[in-house]
Amino acid sequence: MSRIALLAALIYLIVLAGLATLNGAMVALALPLVLYLLAGLWRGPEELRLTAERTISAERIAPGETVMVEIKVINHGNSLEQVLLHDPLPAFLKTIEGASSRLVSIPASESISWSYTVRGRRGSHYFDEIQVIAEDRLGLIVKRAALPTRGQLLILPPVSRIRHIAIQPRETRVYSGVIPAHQGGTGIEFFGLREYHAGDSPHHINWRVSARQGEVLFSNEYEQERVADVGIVLDGRRRVNDFSGGRSIFEDSVLAAVAVASSLLAEGNRVGLFIYGKRNKWTSPGYGKYQRERIMQDLALAETGETHNFKTLIVPRRLFPPNSQIILISPLGGGEMELLSKLHARGYQLLVISPDPVSFEARGLGENPSVKLAARIARLQREVLLRDLRHRGVQVVNWDVSKPFEQAVRASLSRPAAFLHAIQRGRGVGRK
Amino acid sequence: MTRYLIYTSIIAGAGALAFGLVAAMHVSSAVTVLLAGLVWIVLFARRLFRYSGLLFAVFNVISLACLWAGVSPVLTLAGVIFSLLAWDLTRFFQRLQMTNSTQDAGKAERAHFMRLALVVGLSLLGYFAAARIHVTLTFGSAAVLALLGVWGISALVYRLRSHE
Repeated sequence: MSRIALLAALIYLIVLAGLATLNGAMVALALPLVLYLLAGLWRGPEELRLTAERTISAERIAPGETVMVEIKVINHGNSLEQVLLHDPLPAFLKTIEGASSRLVSIPASESISWSYTVRGRRGSHYFDEIQVIAEDRLGLIVKRAALPTRGQLLILPPVSRIRHIAIQPRETRVYSGVIPAHQGGTGIEFFGLREYHAGDSPHHINWRVSARQGEVLFSNEYEQERVADVGIVLDGRRRVNDFSGGRSIFEDSVLAAVAVASSLLAEGNRVGLFIYGKRNKWTSPGYGKYQRERIMQDLALAETGETHNFKTLIVPRRLFPPNSQIILISPLGGGEMELLSKLHARGYQLLVISPDPVSFEARGLGENPSVKLAARIARLQREVLLRDLRHRGVQVVNWDVSKPFEQAVRASLSRPAAFLHAIQRGRGVGRK
Repeated sequence: MTRYLIYTSIIAGAGALAFGLVAAMHVSSAVTVLLAGLVWIVLFARRLFRYSGLLFAVFNVISLACLWAGVSPVLTLAGVIFSLLAWDLTRFFQRLQMTNSTQDAGKAERAHFMRLALVVGLSLLGYFAAARIHVTLTFGSAAVLALLGVWGISALVYRLRSHE
């Protein structure tokens, strides 16, 4: 029931009761209510004719940085006695100075300007409108409007610089890069020997072997280095990422995805991304800075969510050809084994970067004997899982998120794992 | 400030009506009115603002009943005015919650209180003027005046609602 209707009903009730009982004092009781209604009519808002302009000091920032938002609202119509100007902000942004909502008066043909400063965590927000509620002082006549404005704020995830990630996909592309291609040719790493061909550089002749073989000359062959197709799969399932007390390890997974994607793109690889979270989002593979920007924007919006079982995930061959590299970033522990086995069977070379959820959760639960015991059991289960993955030929990086990601990568991925060479040789891929 | 004024208005409204009822020897009714006031306070404290309209209407009906039961007209008027204030301020309090600028809230509070003071002042003036001035009317002229009053209120409500 509207306020005016309620007041009207009460006035009618009081007046009719007064008339029925012929009691003048009773009729007089309606006087405050009638005057209240009249006061509402006095200087109530007419048609709203407002426009708004917005200026944002920066459109792309890192988490923790501040942005100043300046707003100017111009009143082209009559005087407005009381206006609520509300700039809706998403949950990930916090106002640290000033106010995003104002309750003001705006005289006719005048304007009001104000600014506020926000800071936030990773995310993206379109400032597309300012909500207006204009009313008389007593709030009887209310007019609402939404003033269109422009503006976007993108808070990108932080980037950790990683020099090199040593991956060894079974197949590479034709362009030169830094990934060993398992083929002899020009490169840096020694690959093998072959008979000298006319045109070979004298610098490449292996004099020691040639002297031992007699009349035939042998040349050193080096391993070709090329770019590769890399698919990054970011696991955003709520049940493996979110923990008690609103804590989530997903931010660390995003940080890892950004670092890995940036490093691989900087080395010239073709990188794609799949986010398996609140919204399943594919970023088709691409090269260079433009692709990095696309991946950063998609990662800025990544959120955890209730998704279907992980094992139903299908990696499209069109986007990620078999024998290319797949990097899964996941805390693990939610039935990934089946998916990884399936991908492995299709010929993908697999790397799992796993932010350690056991240490993360144990730190949040504090120090007590039962937590220690539970953490020990969980750690053992995780060790068994990781060992099983390694036995299946999956490269695994177990990352304790209390340490920098670069440190974990430097220890595990700065050079190719020796066992990978053994696996490649065993499969007879590449080198003869 | 607004929050405390709401509590004060509810207590004053319920207190005035209860005092009048006790003076007119209706003690159990006075206790009921006080309980209604307490309910209003609890609902407001629990941020159940949507019930303020209902309690405002209840207090107006109680004021009418009090007048009919022989309570002093001044106390019943106090009941109507304080319940009106509590109802109005509850809604204003909700509006203030929507802004995060304390400076704006302070200015809006001052302007709102001035408007309310004007309404209350004029109401008291009109009421006491009506109590002092006695005009003897025939039944016909009284009926015409009553119809005119109802028509005027209807026109006012129609005008206000057309602005909504």
